[in-house]
Amino acid sequence: MKAITPRAATVRRLLALLLSHAVLMTGAVFMLLPLVFMAVTSIKPPAEVFEATFRLWPRTFYGLENFQAALKTAPLFHFLLNGVIVCGGILIVQLIVAIPCAYALAKLEFPGKPVLFALVVLGLCIPVQAPALPLYIAFAQLGVLNTYFSMMAPFFLSVFAVFLFRQFFKSYPDEIIHAARLDGVGEFEIVWRIVVPSAWPAIAAFSVFSIVAHWNDLYWPLIVVSDAKLATPPLGMMFFADSEVGSNYGALAAGAAIITAPLVLAFLLARRRFIAGITMTGIK
Amino acid sequence: MSAIATAPARAARPVPRRWVESLAGIGFATPAFVLLVLTNIAPLIALAILSFTDYEMGAVDINSVGAANFSKALHDPVIRRSLGNTFLYVAIVVPASVLLSLLVAILVHRRTRSRGFYEVVYFLPVTTTLIAMATMWQFLLHPQLGPINAVLTSLGFNRVAFLSEPSLVLPTLAAIGVWQLVGFNMVLFLAGLSAIPRDLYEAAEVDGASHPIDRFLRVTWPLLGPTTMFVTVTTFITAFKIFDTVAVMTRGGPMGSSMTLLYAVYLEGFQYFHLSYAATLTLIFLAFTLVFSVTQTFFLDRRVHY
Amino acid sequence: MLNRRQILKWSAATGPASLIAAPYAHAAEAVTLDVLYAFPAFAKFHEPIAAEFMKKQSDIKVQFRAPAASYDEGHQTMLRQAVTNQLPDVYYAGYHLLAELVRTLVKRNQITEVGPLLAKEDAAWRRANYSDNVLALGKVDGKTYGLAFNASLPILYFNEQLVRAAGGDPAKMPDTWDGIIALAAKIKATGPDISGIAYNIHDWPDDWLFRSMILQAGGQMLDKTETASGVGGPIGLKVMRNFRRFATEGNMPLIDWDQSRQQFIAGKIGIFADTPARLRQVTDLIGTKFTLKTCVFPVDDKTNGGLPTGGNAALITAKDPAKQKAAWEFLKFVSGPEAQQIVVETTGYMPTNLLATAPDKLGRFYEQNPNFRTVSQQSDRAKPWQGYPGGNSVRIWRAQRDIINSVMRGLETPEVGLERLVKESNVLMKA
Repeated sequence: MKAITPRAATVRRLLALLLSHAVLMTGAVFMLLPLVFMAVTSIKPPAEVFEATFRLWPRTFYGLENFQAALKTAPLFHFLLNGVIVCGGILIVQLIVAIPCAYALAKLEFPGKPVLFALVVLGLCIPVQAPALPLYIAFAQLGVLNTYFSMMAPFFLSVFAVFLFRQFFKSYPDEIIHAARLDGVGEFEIVWRIVVPSAWPAIAAFSVFSIVAHWNDLYWPLIVVSDAKLATPPLGMMFFADSEVGSNYGALAAGAAIITAPLVLAFLLARRRFIAGITMTGIK
Repeated sequence: MSAIATAPARAARPVPRRWVESLAGIGFATPAFVLLVLTNIAPLIALAILSFTDYEMGAVDINSVGAANFSKALHDPVIRRSLGNTFLYVAIVVPASVLLSLLVAILVHRRTRSRGFYEVVYFLPVTTTLIAMATMWQFLLHPQLGPINAVLTSLGFNRVAFLSEPSLVLPTLAAIGVWQLVGFNMVLFLAGLSAIPRDLYEAAEVDGASHPIDRFLRVTWPLLGPTTMFVTVTTFITAFKIFDTVAVMTRGGPMGSSMTLLYAVYLEGFQYFHLSYAATLTLIFLAFTLVFSVTQTFFLDRRVHY
Repeated sequence: MLNRRQILKWSAATGPASLIAAPYAHAAEAVTLDVLYAFPAFAKFHEPIAAEFMKKQSDIKVQFRAPAASYDEGHQTMLRQAVTNQLPDVYYAGYHLLAELVRTLVKRNQITEVGPLLAKEDAAWRRANYSDNVLALGKVDGKTYGLAFNASLPILYFNEQLVRAAGGDPAKMPDTWDGIIALAAKIKATGPDISGIAYNIHDWPDDWLFRSMILQAGGQMLDKTETASGVGGPIGLKVMRNFRRFATEGNMPLIDWDQSRQQFIAGKIGIFADTPARLRQVTDLIGTKFTLKTCVFPVDDKTNGGLPTGGNAALITAKDPAKQKAAWEFLKFVSGPEAQQIVVETTGYMPTNLLATAPDKLGRFYEQNPNFRTVSQQSDRAKPWQGYPGGNSVRIWRAQRDIINSVMRGLETPEVGLERLVKESNVLMKA
């Protein structure tokens, strides 16, 4: 191996650093392009939107008018509220259903356990769009289409949650559970009072995963919702975009900003949680 | 009923204990089981039955037609086109997003102070609502008035109608798909990279692999194997399910060049009401995703026992 | 004659609530109307009209469902909701799909005939407000099911400066398609990046622009038996050739219709064929960039040529008798002079109410905005906009559009494209 002078080594390191940052920054520009564009366009008046020379800050600040126009055209905050209701409802039921089931699969013996587990694993392989058609027909027959219930129902069971929590619970020390049983603590309490608090990281991670997935889901709400008042953010954005495209790009960008803001802000505030959520659900 | 001394590994349990446990187990598992049947098993069975009939939305009677729907699907030019388009989309998105995110992860992994910044920037697209971003992309890509074409013309190229040219639509949608996936995959790769012990690199250096590319090929790549596999399969499944951008930006056009499988299912079932045919298409869709999900699940399982 | 047992069985089946609700149905309580329309951009007149209506009728509330993206998509939504029993109370059906939708709903007993309701009103009022042509727009199989709300005929918008630069006369635009294409070719030559004409049939959500070209040449969409496509002859061929010439001689950009409209607004297209419904929007967005003018749609066959009437009619699909009554009040209002004035001033549609053109209503508006008057100058050429037999009109158009698209791009010759179009349309008409 040739000996490298200290200076050459430093130069090489510096070059490598510069190259890395150059590549990363180019990618970063691509990543941020639509977001920056959205922010910039939302504060421009219509006359400046289609200008030949691109400016970051408009000559006339039009942000207030654009956001007002956007809010007047469509009930954007209402869409966000629907997102909260639907995602929150789904998450709560998912946790209530999956946690006991995961515990049973991890720690209890009961007839049919292997069958259940096989079904859970099978369920992991079925994308949510597959049962959509029969579920739609069933909901139509029952007359519950276009309700919050029908928007949430197909997702009440998350096999992924069952699988994930089972992994977690399996590693929970048996001795503590036995001790609690000897103390006369019922199984139900064992699950919710003793085991669950220790699984908090997994629960938080799954919650992030569930909320992000359902907040941005378009397929099912598109099929089931016909009343704009029930629209979730993606569906609301679709209605809103249809009405504004071709006329008011400033308002369109403002509307897009309002729709996108909650998750982005949540991410910026709880970055570690978000990333832990994705990683944990991926690695585990 | 007597207390039975069993193998040393398990404590002796009186019979009532087993009953209690079984009951608790069943009780805990029942809601999940019921939902599983209602939202997964029963619909799949319904799909299978429907696909062998000629049921249309609102029809009064329903007849069995054997495998007619399946043969119709396999010969239907629209369906063959949508399958082809979906595979083309996947063929672009999977390598591009996996390799780009791997590259970015490797570069970001070494950084200390700027790591947080890059993590945020690259992950932001994942948190955005795709449809909101799609409308922004539509404007960015506008053939006459969008900035991207403005840059192209200033560099001396011709204007490009990204979303109106049949040959360009799918690659454009694929680029947007990659845009949204890179950050997600990057995070997964970062976790995988963090799991590689430092001493392995030092050992490799002692063995004569001092060049970074050498280190990558000898240490990083092999140890990232499971992660890479997982990321690839996950990306494959996600890409195969493409729907949002097609539904919002192109609606399958121009001339069917962006028609994808899931969008075809949506049109057949919910716009044209050929429910039995849509059920058939859903089963075809499921067949493909099943192959890949099963692969993923087995890898998931292996990695847990790794 | 219902005996006690029958009443008990009936109430047990429908629930005690219905027995209690029955007497209440006649009380004057607030009725909410659920209304569905197409093209979300038209919220700009639907909402103010509903607000005016609610001011006048305080016990009727109007709320809108998420608007359908286009007439065709709204039609599919209605068909789906007819089956799942989720129909709105009022729907604005595009004329070309009116017959198909009405026939389906009549079979299922889910639509209220408007004819008898109209007959109950004062005859003089009826004559003063609605012309026979307008009333005919809402007729299906001889009965009136819809009340015409919006009506339009295709027009040409053009950029006065570009036309002058090409040597044309804005006051005397060509009245044949050969003439327009020649002018478009000259406009194209005035600068790089300039297109002579845009005729966005390749991305139009329904077949209105296709029908316009066929009808203006004196052709028919259906043959004499009315069961097969009638465009396979020389007229159809000339039309397909014109489509191709728009792209070759006029440098028409083959992009989506919204982007194309934006390009016209930015001053890069000379002549733009479009619905007059966008006139207000386009005028506002152009601002002072150039002078916008409009002219009538060229009609090659001066004796027999016609133009399909675009727009929609309001239908009553409410189940409840109280809602049906409220819906009729709503229909009368939206097709009344006040509402029609709002429609015209915010869009460019033709008013469907005779009283709306009075001097104190739209008269002054037309004087100040002559562009808005152009569409009405073609009224005597108006023909109905019909659908296809069978239930596949939406699919037929989508198939035809793909073929026209490929002819415009030069991927097929007009001859081959026309043959394929006729064949595929016939297959879908029988399906």
